[in-house]
Amino acid sequence: MTDDDFALSRRTFLDRVLLASAGVGMSAAAPWAARAAEDIAKGPRVRIGVIGTGDRGRTLIQNLNKTRNCTVAALCDNFEPHMAKARAYVPANTPIFTDHRKMLEAKGIDAVVIATPLDLHARHTIDALEAGYPVFCEKAMARTIADCSAMVTRARARGKILQIGHQRLFNPTYLNALKRAQAGEIGNITQIRASWHRNRSWRRQIPPGGTEREINWRLYRDRSAGLMTELATHQLQVANWFMGGLPTRVMGSGSICFWKDGRDVYDQVALIYDYSDGRKVIYTSMLNNARYGCEEQIQGSKGTIEPELGRIYQEVQPGAVPALARMRADVQAGRKNTVPIGGATWFPELPVTTPGDSLGWGEYDETMLQFEGFGEAVRSGKEVPGLLAQAYYASVASLLGEQAIDQGQALAWPADLVTF
Amino acid sequence: MTGAAASVARFAAMGTRVELHVFGCDDPAALAAARAAILSVEDALTIHRPSPTTALNDALSSGGNAVVEDRLLFGALVQVDALWRGTGGLFDPSLGHWSALTIDRASRRVSSTRPLTFDFGGFGKGYALDRAVTALRAMGVPSALLSAGESSIAVLGQHPLGGDWPLAVPHPANDGAWLVELELQDAALSISSTIGPGAAKPGRAAMIRPTDGAIVTTAATAIAAAATGAEAEALSTALLVSDPVARDRLCAAAPEQRFLFPHAAPVGAERALEPTA
Ligand SMILES: NC(=O)c1ccc[n+]([C@@H]2O[C@H](COP(=O)([O-])OP(=O)(O)OC[C@H]3O[C@@H](n4cnc5c(N)ncnc54)[C@H](O)[C@@H]3O)[C@@H](O)[C@H]2O)c1
Repeated sequence: MTDDDFALSRRTFLDRVLLASAGVGMSAAAPWAARAAEDIAKGPRVRIGVIGTGDRGRTLIQNLNKTRNCTVAALCDNFEPHMAKARAYVPANTPIFTDHRKMLEAKGIDAVVIATPLDLHARHTIDALEAGYPVFCEKAMARTIADCSAMVTRARARGKILQIGHQRLFNPTYLNALKRAQAGEIGNITQIRASWHRNRSWRRQIPPGGTEREINWRLYRDRSAGLMTELATHQLQVANWFMGGLPTRVMGSGSICFWKDGRDVYDQVALIYDYSDGRKVIYTSMLNNARYGCEEQIQGSKGTIEPELGRIYQEVQPGAVPALARMRADVQAGRKNTVPIGGATWFPELPVTTPGDSLGWGEYDETMLQFEGFGEAVRSGKEVPGLLAQAYYASVASLLGEQAIDQGQALAWPADLVTF
Repeated sequence: MTGAAASVARFAAMGTRVELHVFGCDDPAALAAARAAILSVEDALTIHRPSPTTALNDALSSGGNAVVEDRLLFGALVQVDALWRGTGGLFDPSLGHWSALTIDRASRRVSSTRPLTFDFGGFGKGYALDRAVTALRAMGVPSALLSAGESSIAVLGQHPLGGDWPLAVPHPANDGAWLVELELQDAALSISSTIGPGAAKPGRAAMIRPTDGAIVTTAATAIAAAATGAEAEALSTALLVSDPVARDRLCAAAPEQRFLFPHAAPVGAERALEPTA
């Protein structure tokens, strides 16, 4: 893609975000979207120090490079092979560090982006905030609910921006889906069935010099809540967003069912999140069957939205009653025939394979857009509205789900959370 | 009257498909008014989303009382009350607890001496068709046939070619055979069956006998014609849950309009089909 192509695609992308976010109720449901699509201020680029240059860290670096207001000004990772790969995306003279505290002390940056394993998010975030830097940290927020709350509290106490990466919040298909849901097209949303099903072990090859716990941190409880924090967080964010509220309680069950390879996180989970008025989110995730993939089936009384597929479906309308069609034809032809009608009440068939309509748009740069929003927030000192609450509650929901599974009992939504 | 001018509306309401066939009137406002009448009954009586009925259920589910502001719901309660009496308690959309209920017409206060809730189910369809007929009549429609799920039918005026509307209720198991043939004018018909297409679909409400709370599982079809849809629904339901003595009494009162057909279990079935999954 040439630079001109990219400029064009950025413009169409922004237009789509803007179009999707301009609807009744959208400024309340997605206050960040309209602002993110605004033009950015002139001025020097925000210099970013990236902590964690693994898979995600390198994707983030490439997205930072696409923004108009950020630049990668320092890299930090304590695993050399990852650092070596990351350096390919930044100028050769970019300072590199193995200890994040050294990077924070070295100055030369305006803000910090964190893409380290989950258990380190809180420490890295809080160290950066304490050093006076705004922070963008990848989802999930932290390994415990207490740490998630501490990150928010500390950012507030220090008066610094804290933004958590949740790219669906900037995805035009999701924004469009939300707009159509808000307009009542699928009626009252009463159930969301979400799943993330994969058919692979999730285990990474250990490169020379790497250790199992460092490379496969996702598979160990002390570092990650596995499926709940790494995958479910995304979809629980979507669920809260479309439900327009928070769960009241959660119950769940989990097991190490298929990949009995020494991991101690679940490779299969099933949970029910209750919302007000009896509404529910039903969540499943597993690692040995990919048939149903990653999807949120957002179901209302009038229709269904499947945003990953980008489709909206109306409930199937009943077909004509044959006997009455015949009656009409008879009357038309001047014939008066007996109308055979009546039996057990006709009941709608279960709709199964209706094609639905497209929600539009397939390719996105939503991660880039998150960073442009972050860059503007750093420059203005004003956070992008609404994002942190979405991320915080999504992380709480995923961690509470883990606790409900571990304890084998339904857990009420915590009463002692940070408020927004 | 010729059969030429006819218009039709098809839509989903009250959990089923509704068709309104209007003859001799071209004004689209007539169909629109009938449709609106049906949807407003659904809004008032539904228990599948917040409605005046769910609000009343909330109040009475702990045996309390409430003033019913909603005109359609109050109208339904008053009619059901008369039909409950008329069927000796066999028609009871409160699962057998209607006797605990007091309806004060002046204050519109409904109170109950025990916890109860309403599910107007089939009655709602008949009641809605009655409102639609009233709306069509007010718009000057001379002839119409209305169907809600093909188990609740109302005819307005004469058949478009003159005379009664000839209707026949097919046998649920034997293709081509009819249980009964009826000639109707300005009347309603209700068919309640525990078998036939649709009877075993998921989500079907079971037919409950109010006298002992049992689920009616015997294979049978009850048919009732009456002046209004509300009456026809109440009578077909009452017939389906009645014992032989009550059935004979109900049928004897209008032998040309009320029928109960027991069906032998279909060949190959080990037991009578159940009305619900
Ligand atoms: N938003 C998304 O779609 C998405 C996708 C993938 C990953 N993520 C998130 O990104 C984060 C990283 O995931 P990943 O797949 O890139 O993991 P990874 O293991 O590939 O990368 C983590 C990196 O952090 C480095 N690291 C570990 N400890 C460190 C320390 N003390 N100081 C500096 N660097 C340290 C590791 O060496 C490694 O390079 C996770 O929080 C994950 O949830 C988000």
